[in-house]
Amino acid sequence: MSLQSSFIQIFVSHIKREFLINFRSLVDVISIISFMILIVTLFVLGIGPFEEKLRLISNAIFWIGLILAIIPSLEKTLQRDYDNGWLDQAITSPTPMELILLSKSLAYWLIVIIPLLISLPLFIVLLNINLKLIPWLLISILVGGLSISLIGIIGSALTLGAKRGNILLPILIIPLIIPILIFGVGISEAVRINESPLGNLFLLIGFTLIYLVISPFISAFLIRIAISR
Amino acid sequence: MFDWLANPNRFNRITEKIQPCILFITIITLISGLYFGLFDSPKDYQQGDAVRIMYVHVPSAWLASFLYFSLAISCVFYLVWKHPLADLVSSSIAPIGALFSALTLVTGSLWGKPMWGTWWVWDARLTSMLVLFFFYLGYILLSNAFERKIDGSKTASVLAIVGLINLPIVKFSVDWWHTLHQPASIIKIGGPSIDDKMLLPLILMIFALSFFSLYIIILNVKTKLIEKKCEALLFKSNLQEISKTG
Repeated sequence: MSLQSSFIQIFVSHIKREFLINFRSLVDVISIISFMILIVTLFVLGIGPFEEKLRLISNAIFWIGLILAIIPSLEKTLQRDYDNGWLDQAITSPTPMELILLSKSLAYWLIVIIPLLISLPLFIVLLNINLKLIPWLLISILVGGLSISLIGIIGSALTLGAKRGNILLPILIIPLIIPILIFGVGISEAVRINESPLGNLFLLIGFTLIYLVISPFISAFLIRIAISR
Repeated sequence: MFDWLANPNRFNRITEKIQPCILFITIITLISGLYFGLFDSPKDYQQGDAVRIMYVHVPSAWLASFLYFSLAISCVFYLVWKHPLADLVSSSIAPIGALFSALTLVTGSLWGKPMWGTWWVWDARLTSMLVLFFFYLGYILLSNAFERKIDGSKTASVLAIVGLINLPIVKFSVDWWHTLHQPASIIKIGGPSIDDKMLLPLILMIFALSFFSLYIIILNVKTKLIEKKCEALLFKSNLQEISKTG
């Protein structure tokens, strides 16, 4: 068996494992969707039922809701494996930690993205999002979600074994994902005022590519620090 | 080159000599900068006396960004070459940088009241300074979040380096966001149109604050070295007692 095909096999098996763990109970999926609905409700309650106002900021509400809904579930991605000793095993295995983490973040991306895509029609109705926005929204959620999960893995690795890591994680993560919010809302806003959203989309893709390259290495480095103690 | 400085004793000996010089330069530039800034510089034709806030605001903004850069560099030294002194340097830089970015935000807000009529405007520079402040805060919180000090330093160093990669993107995206949302309508300082009489105190103040922070960093590192020495001595005497009784 060639090295390349064995890498792909390992990759696929890790993604399968994550899927099994996360979709065995639907609690996580339901909690992400319901958390996002609640955030949107809070925003609308805070603004008041004014169509005009809501129409102007619905894109921002959508993106903030998406980011806030994803953050609480980030902590578990590595902490669970750290607590039950899976990471200790993984680090002694011949598979590079970087590869494991890359597959982990891709799996996490799919796990988060699938419920959001399922519930997208709901948010389009709730927030009165323009129908011509849908293809752009799909692309930007896919790309933005990938970069959130890549950065989230870094954040999760940073707070491994930290005191009060669950409180610390959002403080560390949110400054890092500001560009995603800006570019993501930028895409939707550009479509709303009939301009080309390509500029923002390319910036978002570029940002994601940077993290696609550095995130596995940084989080593997952090995990080695965490395991060595 | 830095190997040479990484020896704590040598560091102590060298800083012993240069510390008074740094203090001297700080005092001279601070006094002259404040004098030129507060008394001997022209009023702005639009902003009046309020422009004098610039002599604190701009140097501290400059230093806040520069200190973050040096924080990340010393974190690289700590992670790559594992110099214990580099960790002491970065952990002494962090609170000072955080204070300077807080000072920038406060003076910016004070400046905003007479200029824009409100205490806070979501100006691109102020917003990215706010984000920088949270990067400092994250570093400080994370380095204190672990049972053992060394775990905190290592992990927080990685965060500082990630921040160094991310900060230019944040800065760029905030500028981008700002130009999208509202055209630049704020009076911009700097640029080629600044008067020489205003430039002089500005440069003096930049020097004063840089040397001031250098002085404080050296003082901080020395204090931490002494603390470490005390810990080691305490540990040794405890060991001796244990061996005596045992």
